[in-house]
Amino acid sequence: MKIAVCIKRVPDSETRVKIASDGKSLDEAGVKFILNPYDEFAVEEALRRKEKAGAGEVAVIALGPAAAQETIRTALAMGADRGILLQSDRIPPDGLEVAKALAVELKGAGFDLILFGKMAIDDYNHQVGPMVAELLDLPCVTTVAHLELEGGKGVAEREIEGGVEVVEFPLPAVLTTDKGLNEPRYPALKGIMAAKKKPLEVKPVSLPSGALEILALTPPAERKEGKIVGEGPAAVPELVRLLREEAKVL
Amino acid sequence: MSHVLAVLEQRDGALRKVSHEVVTGARRLADALGGNVDALILAADAVRGADQLGRFGADQVITLTNAAFGVYAPEGYARAIAERVESGGYGAVVFAASATGKDLAPRVAARLGRPLAQEVTDLAVEAGAVTVIRPVYAGKALLKLKINGAPAVISLRPSVFTPVERPKAGTQESATAAVPAGRVVVRAIKAAEAGTLDVAEAPIVVSGGRGLKEPANFKVLEELAAAFAGRAAVGASRAVVDAGWRPHADQVGQTGKTVSPTLYVAVGISGAIQHLAGMRTSKVIVAINKDKDAPIFKVADYGIVGDLFEVVPKLTEEIKKQHG
Amino acid sequence: MDDTGNGKGETGIVIPAQYQPPLPLDRLLLPVGAEGAGDRTELDVLIVGAGPAGLACAIELAHLAQHERADLSIGVLEKAATLGEHSLSGAVVNPRSFRELFPDLKDADFPFRGPVQKERVALLTSRRAFTLPTPPTMHNAGNYVASLCEIVRWLGERAAALGVNVFTGFPAASLLVDGERVAGVRTAATGLDRAGRPLSNYLAPNDLVAKVTALAEGTRGSLAQAWLEWQAVTSENPQIFALGVKEIWETKRPLATIVHTLGWPVPSDAFGGSFMYPLEPNLVALGLVVGLDYRDAALDVHALLQRMKLHPLFRQYLEGGEMVEWGAKTIPEGGYYAVPARRSGDGIVILGDSAGFVDVPSLKGIHYAMQSGIFAARAILAGLQAGHASAARLAEYDRLVNESFIMKDLYRTRNMRLAFKDGFYAGGVKAALITLTGGRFPGGKIAMEPDAEVERRFTPASRPGPVTPDGRLTFSKVDAVFKSGNSTRDTIPIHLVVGKDVPAAVAEFYARMCPAGVYELAQGALRVNAPNCVDCKATDVLGPRWTPREGGSGPKYKRM
Repeated sequence: MKIAVCIKRVPDSETRVKIASDGKSLDEAGVKFILNPYDEFAVEEALRRKEKAGAGEVAVIALGPAAAQETIRTALAMGADRGILLQSDRIPPDGLEVAKALAVELKGAGFDLILFGKMAIDDYNHQVGPMVAELLDLPCVTTVAHLELEGGKGVAEREIEGGVEVVEFPLPAVLTTDKGLNEPRYPALKGIMAAKKKPLEVKPVSLPSGALEILALTPPAERKEGKIVGEGPAAVPELVRLLREEAKVL
Repeated sequence: MSHVLAVLEQRDGALRKVSHEVVTGARRLADALGGNVDALILAADAVRGADQLGRFGADQVITLTNAAFGVYAPEGYARAIAERVESGGYGAVVFAASATGKDLAPRVAARLGRPLAQEVTDLAVEAGAVTVIRPVYAGKALLKLKINGAPAVISLRPSVFTPVERPKAGTQESATAAVPAGRVVVRAIKAAEAGTLDVAEAPIVVSGGRGLKEPANFKVLEELAAAFAGRAAVGASRAVVDAGWRPHADQVGQTGKTVSPTLYVAVGISGAIQHLAGMRTSKVIVAINKDKDAPIFKVADYGIVGDLFEVVPKLTEEIKKQHG
Repeated sequence: MDDTGNGKGETGIVIPAQYQPPLPLDRLLLPVGAEGAGDRTELDVLIVGAGPAGLACAIELAHLAQHERADLSIGVLEKAATLGEHSLSGAVVNPRSFRELFPDLKDADFPFRGPVQKERVALLTSRRAFTLPTPPTMHNAGNYVASLCEIVRWLGERAAALGVNVFTGFPAASLLVDGERVAGVRTAATGLDRAGRPLSNYLAPNDLVAKVTALAEGTRGSLAQAWLEWQAVTSENPQIFALGVKEIWETKRPLATIVHTLGWPVPSDAFGGSFMYPLEPNLVALGLVVGLDYRDAALDVHALLQRMKLHPLFRQYLEGGEMVEWGAKTIPEGGYYAVPARRSGDGIVILGDSAGFVDVPSLKGIHYAMQSGIFAARAILAGLQAGHASAARLAEYDRLVNESFIMKDLYRTRNMRLAFKDGFYAGGVKAALITLTGGRFPGGKIAMEPDAEVERRFTPASRPGPVTPDGRLTFSKVDAVFKSGNSTRDTIPIHLVVGKDVPAAVAEFYARMCPAGVYELAQGALRVNAPNCVDCKATDVLGPRWTPREGGSGPKYKRM
């Protein structure tokens, strides 16, 4: 099975967000970068599918700065076979531009499956996977939490409000992965050593900024100062009144 | 002058409530752009609730029917919507950032060759261009974006654009969508298991900490949760999970689950940062604690200082009255 | 009892050694070929610990190998998930070992924050600060303020560029031995639940077999202790330790001076002091270091640090600022007489803090650690080239260290810290005499007992209680651990070996001792919150023994 996994280098979710002096981006001083956690499910799924099929290849593709090579090596250490870095210092905020660059790389390469994490934990855009599918005219299912593949067809389950959608699709297809699909493996020590020798192609790309323009990155609004409604059970009716009429949550 | 297309959601022949939010958001945008709101429903047949949309500001309600549109058909929907957008010359297309909306909106945007602002919490028109605000970095920052060109494709975060009455004509129209359903087929929807509302999914979370003193005392919280008629789950702080009183699946906090419910009630929880990291994006936080200096009161919107064994049963009683 | 330390005034005597289990040698020493490992990897040189000693050793080895056109496979094991995450120090660094390791680079190329400009030593009372003349051992002109995390990351990049394999997330859990020879290490398993059963992402331990194993585990290294005990290598005095608790603050008011203080809040029957260094004018590192031979069973270093921050000297900088990181680590303080008689053997060398190369009066250890790594590399390469890394060959490492500034410096101050075992005032007098006589007074060695054997008492509340944390200037242990970046999974197996039937008084003692709130006295019994552990090793010195746990667990220091 020939599988591509598109991955992203993102700041660790524990990052304390400091805004850079340009007022539009993250101050990266001291920020630890990791493989996007949702992409780990995608890499793991790709490895399992290849192992199950007994033959094939898992290629990982990232769009990002030179340092993203380290992120690709992490996926290679997990067991992926080769990596491609579309090198660009800047990632445009317009997900469609990212999708176009990936589509160019993926087109005609004959992948049975193209996997993405459902979203990146920095931009929360939740869009590049299905956009790539549209550009490549491939079937796509997003936020897959359970997957069965059999003879050129697949059945995926995805969470919707109040239930689980069961979706059928033909291969080749694009899937985006959600938590719960699998438990990603830790890279083994031997895998880390082997990763250094696996092929990693670096292709500089130049992306247009697209039609989305960042105006500002700001801290969230301060939570308004709360109030102690009162003491003891006597304060309860007032609390309920406030929840109903002021907060409007009841 | 620019018109806005609001793409709504139906399930089992009835409009989902989030559709009112979509119309409300679309109406706000249309007023700023000086145009109309057309509400779009894709279904197999006429849908219940379509006649109510005028109330929230829909000038026109278009129901596009197709035999395969009873359930979500990703490719068919995307194609039908994109064709509508192009033929209608809309300045903006608005979706709900629901499970379906977040899947559908990128497909439509890519078809139109347009960017997508996913899950916005605010929108405006500045100097003729649509601007949006969306949370990033797990809500630790807000990104303001300008959308150049048209149409602007946007999805709205649920529970933010509270429906507002803005009565308009809401004229009903119907048409068939002559598009293939597509290769991706929704075969079934399995209902969520009754009674097992996950802490991370529940709209209301009632959490307990060491102040409960004993595992058996969690009953007091279970009764409060039950008073919310199926909408609340019981969460736990790390201390009580460590002590074995509650399962790890219920743990709220940095090393447990991150929750963002509409209402979070912290009972007998002091408010360690590790716990706050798991619930600080809750819409409304209520704290009940006998220590008036407990750090949780600094984060809570409303607090009651008192003995939880007296306060919580009283709260349960009052909530039951609410629900009748 | 809550986690700020508001105890109920337990009375009684505590001798920690009575409840301390012995080192679990059956886990720390395994015969090579023992069952239980998954993969096995062979290397020429294996270095345990990617701190300054381990990485300097790796870099010097790689440099020498390049020069000699030798093909050496070098591996460094690091238990943290990413380089630097378990590294913590003040720090003011002497650059000499950097210059020796990188003769082609200039000071400006090194990962330092800035040269020391002004310095100040003060004696504190609860409300005032009296500037003292800087003791000769503490002059820092020519040295640099630095973050050890940044140093380690910088060294790591260079090591990787030289072809060194650095494996992060792999703690060494056991030494593999072949007769009397050290043959390598076995790493800890990953992905076990609290009952020790494998989870779905279980990774079996790895055996790494090497011709030479260099132990650079830092303070209170488990494998180093195991080897020294097994080979019956002793030192004239037992090693003693101090616990340092450190915070990094973004401040509104800039700081331009490096500050050291003595006196308050350290009680007069304990040894310690504080430091405050500017990493940047508005990024300040500060901490309190207290010897673990303290007599008051209720002493809590974290709580003392919180109180200390309210003193005007510190408060003027911290007010309105934000604490961005917190951490803790022990420091070996025994000096010259606590260094083991030999730090090399068949197939093994011991570097840095694990060997006790720290000079307390000048508060320096990083350049000694790096220098020991450099010397070890030279001895190792010579041994490998001669065909075998026997004890006789590796003894060259000991010779190089003994004849170097490392041991000369430690000898000069050999009794300085020890002089304080009788308290601050007596110690101050003795220390002054030691300084005036250039170390000739008091002559022979001052004997010390191990920290765990020192008797402690709970005194009635004549001392002020801990401050209630306000969450702005002062923090609870639970919140502090959050700021260390520790997000260890809750279901991890407990890595601490606890003594049997620990009474309430001892549990309370542990609760005060541990800066991370791992121990609590709950309903009269000891509660262990193992995931809180930040690997400072104070527990290994005074309480339950520390053993390596799953790779990547523990703190995630960024600029400590």
